[in-house]
Amino acid sequence: MTADKTVVVTEGLEAKSASRLSVLGFFMALPPMLLVICFVGAPILIAFTFSLGWTEGPNRVVSIIGQEIHKKDHWWGTFSAYQDVFHDSRFPGDLRTTLLVTTISTTMVLVMALGIGIYQRMIGGRLASIMTTLTLVPLFVPVVIASWAIHTFYAGDGFMRTIFSHFGIEFPTLTSTSTAIAIGTIWTSLPFAILMVTSGLQSVPDALIETAQDAGAGFFRIIRTVLIPLALTPIVIAGTFTAIGIMGSFTIPLFLGPNQPTMLGVEISNFFGAYNRPQQSIVMAFVVFTAASGIALVYIWANVRSAKQSGRI
Amino acid sequence: MVKKEKARVKTSSPLVKALLVLFMLCMAFFILGPLAWLGVHAFVTNWTYPNLTPDGWTWHWWTRVLDDSALEGAIRNSLIISPIVVLCSMVICLPAAYAAGRMTYAGRKTFLIGMFAANSFPKIGLFASIATLYYALNLMGTVVGVIIIQLLGTIIYMTWIPAAAFAAVPRNLEEAARDAGASKFRVFRTITLRMAMPGILVAIVMSFLASFDEAQGTYLVGAPAIFTMPTEMYSLVQNYPIQVAAVFSLLLAFPSVLLIGLARKHIVGGQLAEGFQIK
Repeated sequence: MTADKTVVVTEGLEAKSASRLSVLGFFMALPPMLLVICFVGAPILIAFTFSLGWTEGPNRVVSIIGQEIHKKDHWWGTFSAYQDVFHDSRFPGDLRTTLLVTTISTTMVLVMALGIGIYQRMIGGRLASIMTTLTLVPLFVPVVIASWAIHTFYAGDGFMRTIFSHFGIEFPTLTSTSTAIAIGTIWTSLPFAILMVTSGLQSVPDALIETAQDAGAGFFRIIRTVLIPLALTPIVIAGTFTAIGIMGSFTIPLFLGPNQPTMLGVEISNFFGAYNRPQQSIVMAFVVFTAASGIALVYIWANVRSAKQSGRI
Repeated sequence: MVKKEKARVKTSSPLVKALLVLFMLCMAFFILGPLAWLGVHAFVTNWTYPNLTPDGWTWHWWTRVLDDSALEGAIRNSLIISPIVVLCSMVICLPAAYAAGRMTYAGRKTFLIGMFAANSFPKIGLFASIATLYYALNLMGTVVGVIIIQLLGTIIYMTWIPAAAFAAVPRNLEEAARDAGASKFRVFRTITLRMAMPGILVAIVMSFLASFDEAQGTYLVGAPAIFTMPTEMYSLVQNYPIQVAAVFSLLLAFPSVLLIGLARKHIVGGQLAEGFQIK
């Protein structure tokens, strides 16, 4: 009873000081917000007007440098640059590769993270902690190095083909295929997903699992009806972050993928730099952004759900 | 921390054990194989396919990298720019993290979700957009431009992870210290900051790595005037033999490996995961 009272009192104090500090809090939170507004929000908005053919103001320099720039022919702009991209013969293949790699890699990453997380939670032991540590290695390896290492590993004269040739097996050259992109994205995305999922599973109370065991639930039933539902929020967060990261990836498909079709991240860079068609490049960025926004909504839904469950809303 | 015995299922079946060991070996091969293969190449003269051993061993590539002035410049740039980025990031973000973790103010949730929305725009598209703005602001090819680009990648770590760490500091501890007569500043320094330190440390490590490894934006904005170690890799892999790229990779991975020792415990301990849930 006394404990309950203390909580109420401190919460009352908190609420009081919180409202008093709200102005200060707002100003403390301002610097990173301003930075994001100036160098993320504003560029995205300006880029959006550019994609619609607004070539004056901040878009003037890039419009002079770039080629095949469409100027707006209505008050709101023009869709010509969008038509360019959607009618480009390479675009459907690139989009398909992007979505396919994102789906397959995210699924694989989640399955592996769940497998290792559940293993650590339900069985544990030294082997499990060695495995978790092992999967963290990619977190500390720069993407450029990782991509290049994977490139050489699966290349025509790489390790896989070297080893298999001694057993008389012709191992396929994976470098410069979509499979290699998937391998690379799984490799680099694993640590974050595993950290999220493992910490979510670890926070499931022991009592619930023991109760389920006492009630006669088997191993898989506990996973399906206790562990996964209770750790759903971190699992969803892991999935959405992984998917968004993979969808916009550039270095991995650049080093590991084929020239055509490749992922849109590489194509955005090609169109901006090598082909000097900045407007079309920006249009592709918005295509990826639209897809990523859909995933971002799932993430926000998951956060709201967890806030509701813990009674914070 | 007290070690707690978790509810666990006992497995005694040797078949299950064997399968688990096999799975772990596969994972080890999948994760470490490429790194080991590239690492070995830093010390070999040449490797003829399909021989199992290299043609010979040498230190030649190391002297070649260390004598190359362009590569040296890239290493210097990286070692100067990344600490500046982390410092700027701390100054800009840590007060905000404290506010997000401890105070309620207008637009707090919008702020946290806004940070995330910014993160879901494809990086390379964002950099292309920023480049168009940089042309207008004359920031193309400048150090300031590169610092801002790298700063953007650190914000999410430097706000979210410390915010969760600040939020987790028990209020009654602070109040007890205040009751015992400690000044506000002293309470902040000896209790709040100290207890939030693991989270801040993880944020610093993650920010440093994010800045140190940032390649796409730095390349788009900095090249050809400013090269850092990762952007140098882009031209390296195209213009130099694989052994030089291997040496450079080892050099580039060195700070990261060093930082593992510093923060591994806290990262595995859940500080990172804690930070990514909006509360």
